[in-house]
Amino acid sequence: MTSRNNVGGWLRGKTIKKAGAASSSNTRSSTPQQVQSTSTTVFGGGVKDPSGRVSEFFSMDDQCPVCKSDRYLNPKLRLLVSSCYHKMCESCIDRLFTLGPAPCPICNKILRKLAFTPQTFEDLGVEKEVAVRRRIAKEFNKRREDFPDLRFYNDYLEEVEDITFNLINDIDITETEARVARYRLENSALIELNLQREEAYVQQLRDQEETERREREARAQELRREEEEEREEREKGKREIIDKLETSNKDAAKVVAKTRANALKRSQARSSSASQLMSSSRLLRSRAAQSTNVPDVPHVPLQDNYYAYEGKFVLRPEGYLDFLSEAVRKDREGIMRGGGYKVEEAWERALRSAVAALDLPPLSGLPNQTSQSEQEGDAVMVS
Amino acid sequence: MDAVEKANEARQKNWIKDRKVGEGAYAVVYQGREATTGRKVAVKKIRVGQFKDGLDMSAIREVKYLRELKHQNVIELLDVFSSKTNLNLVLEFLDSDLEMIIKDRSLVFLPADIKSWMAMTFRGLEFCHRNWILHRDLKPNNLLIASDGQLKIADFGLARDFADPGYKMTCQVITRWYRPPELLYGGRYYGTAVDIWSVGCIFAELMLRIPYLPGESDMDQIKTIFRALGTPTEEDWPGHTKLPDYVPVGQFPRTPLRDLFTAASADTLNLLNKCLIYEPRKRISALDALHHPYFFALPYPTHPSKLPKCSTVLNRPLDEVDANVEMNATGPGVKATSKGLKRKLASPTELKARSIARRLDFSKAPPSSP
Repeated sequence: MTSRNNVGGWLRGKTIKKAGAASSSNTRSSTPQQVQSTSTTVFGGGVKDPSGRVSEFFSMDDQCPVCKSDRYLNPKLRLLVSSCYHKMCESCIDRLFTLGPAPCPICNKILRKLAFTPQTFEDLGVEKEVAVRRRIAKEFNKRREDFPDLRFYNDYLEEVEDITFNLINDIDITETEARVARYRLENSALIELNLQREEAYVQQLRDQEETERREREARAQELRREEEEEREEREKGKREIIDKLETSNKDAAKVVAKTRANALKRSQARSSSASQLMSSSRLLRSRAAQSTNVPDVPHVPLQDNYYAYEGKFVLRPEGYLDFLSEAVRKDREGIMRGGGYKVEEAWERALRSAVAALDLPPLSGLPNQTSQSEQEGDAVMVS
Repeated sequence: MDAVEKANEARQKNWIKDRKVGEGAYAVVYQGREATTGRKVAVKKIRVGQFKDGLDMSAIREVKYLRELKHQNVIELLDVFSSKTNLNLVLEFLDSDLEMIIKDRSLVFLPADIKSWMAMTFRGLEFCHRNWILHRDLKPNNLLIASDGQLKIADFGLARDFADPGYKMTCQVITRWYRPPELLYGGRYYGTAVDIWSVGCIFAELMLRIPYLPGESDMDQIKTIFRALGTPTEEDWPGHTKLPDYVPVGQFPRTPLRDLFTAASADTLNLLNKCLIYEPRKRISALDALHHPYFFALPYPTHPSKLPKCSTVLNRPLDEVDANVEMNATGPGVKATSKGLKRKLASPTELKARSIARRLDFSKAPPSSP
């Protein structure tokens, strides 16, 4: 992370250190391949809060380093940050850049009006670091699975950190940018794939949340329905007692007790049959927990060594002129091709049959030998 | 009694039938055990003499191919013997199939579970294909699940060995919903790609939990496929307009698989896409599929012993099973399915077409077969 002093230097407009960089950035702006950080799309300005709004830094002591106007003079003062990380007030920006790209009054880098972004952090060093890291993370998105072992992955992480550090602290910018560009070129397919994976994962999470929410709703509805039913039941019971007391001529206490017992029985039956809906997410979690018993093993394509004996024959790439396959090779109407018949497979079958079991010991002999030849029996079986 | 009969009797004695668990069009299935070890087996009794042409073709095919194939993911034929006029096949006993599992709504599939089932299916299929056998009837209820979770390909009643160049094969194979477009268009020269299409449909069904392409007739099946995957152009599938039963069925736009399989990963859709390529020669092979990045990406495939299992195993009383006997069973899978779990697959017309197809094929069995 950038040290505080350094930032202070920028803010005070000390350009001694940046002088070289500024002139080089002037020349760079003329070569479009290496243009960096001239627009918001490259570094992205400001940090968004969860609702998607950019939260802006605001202080009573704000002062525009260019026109020196402050919040006391102009209560509506709003400072924006340039792509070279210098602050300016909106009126200065309007004044300097309305007529097109112009040099930054502090460091002389050519800037555009649209490339100014709101400030989120008080410390502009943090602002820059966040922007750089966000940009790097977009392209350097390889995962642990993409590497054969942990060592390569760690090397990769180290390299990413190295590049990030260079960009943040303006060390060897040209060379670092070249490195990034090289990486992008070499790994464009993988970057795209990982982006898709990331999206798919986010989608999956969203879907899962959605189903859980729906389940919760269903359960709540179920509960409401049950409550309603119970209430109705109670009302009915009361009415029943009154009716019975009215019509029957038995002992009043006995009638009441009997109806109550009936009601109790009914309610018990209902509660036992109440849906024992097990939420799928809970099931999923229990499945995941159970997976510790037997570990899952990585995929092994084939569990035998059938193809270890390749190389006993070579299939001629130009095919064979045998009379058997003449019709297929010509296939004037293309129906054999359209149907998917592969004459190459017929040739391969013939060749495989011819070389199968070469180099194998005879079936009789040591017991371990027989077991091996049994395994090879699969290869012999073809007609 | 000659030597052959004696040997047959010795074999017969080794297997004990316990109870009937199902009955198909031409066979009765019993649960049984091995006399010496007590191991559970399924004995399938095939009635001979009922057919004019002799033994039913699918029985011959099943014996012919299963005797050759021995693999972890292919059902094992343990023995064959005859009793009176019947032929008996002794098969591994497997208590559920993938269809029952897909239909069991109380089960939740993790992506890793689907990966594990697909890996086992491809492994079994690769073994068949490497031995030049086309299964030609892959569907969830022909993928049986052993008690240890291993998936096994069963029902070789429509299987056939890879045709010699220029030999015609019948296009009336594979249950309609899993039948590839080249067969629907009457292609008579095809290859291992037909099984891959079926596996693709099963893959999609595992994710959706309902059949992916449920056509109501052969014509409707083509439309269903095109509606889902777009009408192929000559570029997508060269030569398809020349196939014998080709009929244009209108233009449907191709919708990305992502629209239907919203939660699937990019690898998953990539493999599914490759299984459902129109041009059969471009469709991925079982061997290549096993090396697809989908299988290597995290999460690892679930260990078979932890895969979801059907809670209802067939410990139902016998008469209940008998009442639900599936009369139109297409082949010799060893399973007892109740009507509730059974889906209607073969309409009467299709059944007739199939059995005719079988007979046709019977008379045209290639002379070169082993």
